[in-house]
Amino acid sequence: MVDLFRRKLLKTGAAATAMAAASSALGQQAVQADGTAFFERSGIRIRYQDSKRGFPLLIIPGGGLNSALSGLKNPFDTFGELQGEYRCISADLRNANTGQSSGPLEVDRAWDSHTDDQLALLDHLGVKKFAVMGFCIGGPFIWNLLKRAPDRVVAAVLAQPVGFRPEMPTLLYDGSMTGWGPDLVKRRPEITMDMIEKYLSNMYKKNADFVFTVTRDFVKSCQTPVLVLPDDIPAHPYAVAMEAAMLAPKSEVSLYPWKQPPERIPIAVRQIKSFLKAHRPAST
Amino acid sequence: MVDLFRRKLLKTGAAATAMAAASSALGQQPTQQGGRGAFYEKGPVRIYYEQYGAGFPLLLIAGGGLSGTIAGLSNPFNAIDEFKSEYRCIAADLRNAPSGKSTGPLEVDRPWDSYTDDHLGVMDHLGIDKFMVMGFCIGGPFIWNLLKRAPNRVVAAVLAQPSGSRPEARNLFYETNSQGWGPELMKKRPEVTKEMVDRFLTKMYRSNPDFVFTVTRDFVKSCQTPVLILPDDIPAHPFAVAMEAAMLAPKSQVSIYPWKEPKERIPVAIRHIRMFLKSNRPAAT
Repeated sequence: MVDLFRRKLLKTGAAATAMAAASSALGQQAVQADGTAFFERSGIRIRYQDSKRGFPLLIIPGGGLNSALSGLKNPFDTFGELQGEYRCISADLRNANTGQSSGPLEVDRAWDSHTDDQLALLDHLGVKKFAVMGFCIGGPFIWNLLKRAPDRVVAAVLAQPVGFRPEMPTLLYDGSMTGWGPDLVKRRPEITMDMIEKYLSNMYKKNADFVFTVTRDFVKSCQTPVLVLPDDIPAHPYAVAMEAAMLAPKSEVSLYPWKQPPERIPIAVRQIKSFLKAHRPAST
Repeated sequence: MVDLFRRKLLKTGAAATAMAAASSALGQQPTQQGGRGAFYEKGPVRIYYEQYGAGFPLLLIAGGGLSGTIAGLSNPFNAIDEFKSEYRCIAADLRNAPSGKSTGPLEVDRPWDSYTDDHLGVMDHLGIDKFMVMGFCIGGPFIWNLLKRAPNRVVAAVLAQPSGSRPEARNLFYETNSQGWGPELMKKRPEVTKEMVDRFLTKMYRSNPDFVFTVTRDFVKSCQTPVLILPDDIPAHPFAVAMEAAMLAPKSQVSIYPWKEPKERIPVAIRHIRMFLKSNRPAAT
């Protein structure tokens, strides 16, 4: 049966995608040659990578709405550094042009739709409690995870987090309107620029402040240990990173700058490792 | 020899030291902060130390240069209060700190090592093999010396606002101690002469006026002990030296900077210290 199904699919020519779909239809995880696999639920298809051993660590790559597994080596090789000690799990963001995850554009729940995917993937993998490390757009995603699943996230690392910069209030909206939306529309004829505009407005204009996904009061009350590694490019305002760090009652902050000169990166990575080790459950 | 030394001290009118000596005869004494104070003696050296809490041993070295005493551990945060609930905190008055209770010869040919002798001596006296250490200011050079002399005993080290040699002010420590610490000590200890103080400080700060005084860059580069550095940048605590050491040490971490101003940042730095110590202490503790 499986062989027959596989043969039929191979005939279509869409080999990689089809293989994944076949395995999924059979309730299997379709691990591809590159070590990635697909997880599907209600019209959403998420490509992910899972190193399988150790305490679970969700890693959210940078790259804004083009956050994808291909970004996992920037600014350092996250899986390479951490998969020896942690079960590193990461995914292409739904509808990232650089990835293979796809699903509806939920214009009314832009941030939450991605958090849905992250939590659903972890559920699918049987993960209850986990640590999370996110780069760039991973910052707002992490705060949303901490809001929605406070009992599941044991510690969080926010590296070069995205935030709202009052002097450039439409920066992230504009960047995605030109850098992400048009490419997605090209690939997905059912998606229009009007939908993109609504989605991005909801994401970046509706609550244009601070870290987008949570309030300062939430951060002030957040009992999860967080380690913040600030940056200061336009999309990653230092002031917002530090404001969040100063509000969060269990925060730590890295040295700054931590990416330049590049010789500083190992110092920051050592802090990340210590931080995760100090906060992971004792038996792991 | 010890008695002779004690008699000399009493004759000087060093009342505090004498009072402490009397207490020592009765063994450990409770301190005002709820710890246990006692003296460790070795030959003519007599070191006043205090212990707080229980757990894996953490040696605390106060700032204050050569005048460093246990009282200094309340600055820039109260290190004993912060860590006594998780660690067995041990702190001592530096030998010959004028306002402290520790005394001993001024070892003019081996100033840094004489203090390291005392640090290791107290730990030996307490039956402690492995320990962690956190030092402020002059604690930086002391810690590097401990890492050089007892690499298998120190499991992790925190260097807060460490002292270092500033190329544009090589004489800084010699001069400040010649004016501050030396005269104060001579007042208390008539047998200590200006010439002895000068030789001591010359050896300490002028014979190797570079980097962190006690070890070479090559040593730091090869040091396998995890170190957390919290830089400062006042004249005696050069940021450049702190960062140079951090960049050389293969298992270093660096705190947020600045970490003392605004003062709301201090808790962020303390959490980093706590996490660093926890992640590096032996598993069973």
